[in-house]
Amino acid sequence: MTRKKVKLAYIPNDSARKATFKKRKKGLMKKVSELSTLCGIEACAIIFSPYDAQPEIWPSPMGVQRVLSQFKKMPEMEQSKKMVNQDSFLRQRIAKANEQLKRQRKDNREKEITQVMFQGLTAGKVLQGLNMLDLNDLGWIVDQNLKEISKRIVMLSKGGGSSSSATTVQYSSSQEETTAPVSASQGEKCSGFEQMGMEAMQKQQWFVDLMNPQDNNMGGFGGEEVMFPFGDGGSTHSSLWSNPFYP
Amino acid sequence: MEKKSSMGRQKIPMSKIPKKNRLQVTFSKRRAGVFKKASELSTLCGVDIALIVFSPANKAFSFGHPNVDSIIDRFLVRNPPPEPCTHRLVEAHRNANIRELNMKLTQVLQQLEIEKKHGEVLSEIRKASRAQRWWEAPVNELGLHELQQLKVAMEELKKTVEKQANKILMGSFETQSPSLGENNINRLESKPVDEVNPAANSNVLPFYNWGYGHCQELL
Repeated sequence: MTRKKVKLAYIPNDSARKATFKKRKKGLMKKVSELSTLCGIEACAIIFSPYDAQPEIWPSPMGVQRVLSQFKKMPEMEQSKKMVNQDSFLRQRIAKANEQLKRQRKDNREKEITQVMFQGLTAGKVLQGLNMLDLNDLGWIVDQNLKEISKRIVMLSKGGGSSSSATTVQYSSSQEETTAPVSASQGEKCSGFEQMGMEAMQKQQWFVDLMNPQDNNMGGFGGEEVMFPFGDGGSTHSSLWSNPFYP
Repeated sequence: MEKKSSMGRQKIPMSKIPKKNRLQVTFSKRRAGVFKKASELSTLCGVDIALIVFSPANKAFSFGHPNVDSIIDRFLVRNPPPEPCTHRLVEAHRNANIRELNMKLTQVLQQLEIEKKHGEVLSEIRKASRAQRWWEAPVNELGLHELQQLKVAMEELKKTVEKQANKILMGSFETQSPSLGENNINRLESKPVDEVNPAANSNVLPFYNWGYGHCQELL
């Protein structure tokens, strides 16, 4: 209904304040009435304002008396257990809002770290700017994901591996074509460690290529896909594994 | 803006709710709402107010400013009690306190709004990435072969993360005396840890590709 958000503070302008009072008082009474009807419960409202000597009340003088006597008949403790004033009520609201804020921040953080994880799969350099806290969270998220993936793999393996599409067959054959020649030519020149590094690089490389926008039948897997782990090809992640043997 | 997550505001019949569960839920929500309205009315217009509400289980909920009992007494007695000076001082203090609480509440609610919007942005980004990169899809939607590839890539990433973490640790040790002491820990945390906002401790944001072309440094 309102076009402008109203500041939660005393309205200094007299006429604005009086107008607001009229509207909101009416609205409040309506809400109390609805609550009473919908839930079949007893309720009352008493408002003392500078605009009237008599308090504004709901439902009626008799109704208010009835509720008040019912209230006063209760033991002190029952009366005060759920009694609040502005101070306690606002503190409760603040506490609740803080809880929601904390939760929302945590969710957002998880979303962000997950995005970093996905980026990290193809561009290892992303990790360099992260601090320990980030890396810690990232490692945790990666672990969680691995658990889920492994679980799902087991599930699918049990159910019979019929879920692979035609494309996946091409994935494996292309993989063999392209990684074999590279490792063969460079296998003699490097130590075992470098080879491990390069295989990792190659895995990242074919993974990157698979992720390049190509249509499902992987028709593009032709000559251009010969692997150059340390080549340029626009891959920014190669610097992570920079190797003095192959500048 | 239509939110598809819920049905939105529906008109309900103004009669007692038949189902007990829904009745209880409605009571809780509306009671909180009506108290909020009373609190706002009191603040905005500077009026004294009392609300008493009995729950379906006959528990008494009440809200009052300055407090429920004084309003009840004032109503029953019908003669406004004369205000001695001390009363006014107390009232001034009370109002100042309430003013501060309202400000604090407003502040927290604003922060909450910001974080919620941030969350929506993040979800949008994720949705957009998913459309382009198959491996970002939920695990349940991936095929066996895709999962195996993804697993390999994830394991590689894990190694990279560990390597990077070690690099940071080693880096700090090299510039320090060999003994592990308070110094080293302080080195790692160059700024005070913000416990309230985890994002503040993170270096993730500068390197985060928002998809809107903000930081294209790394991709």
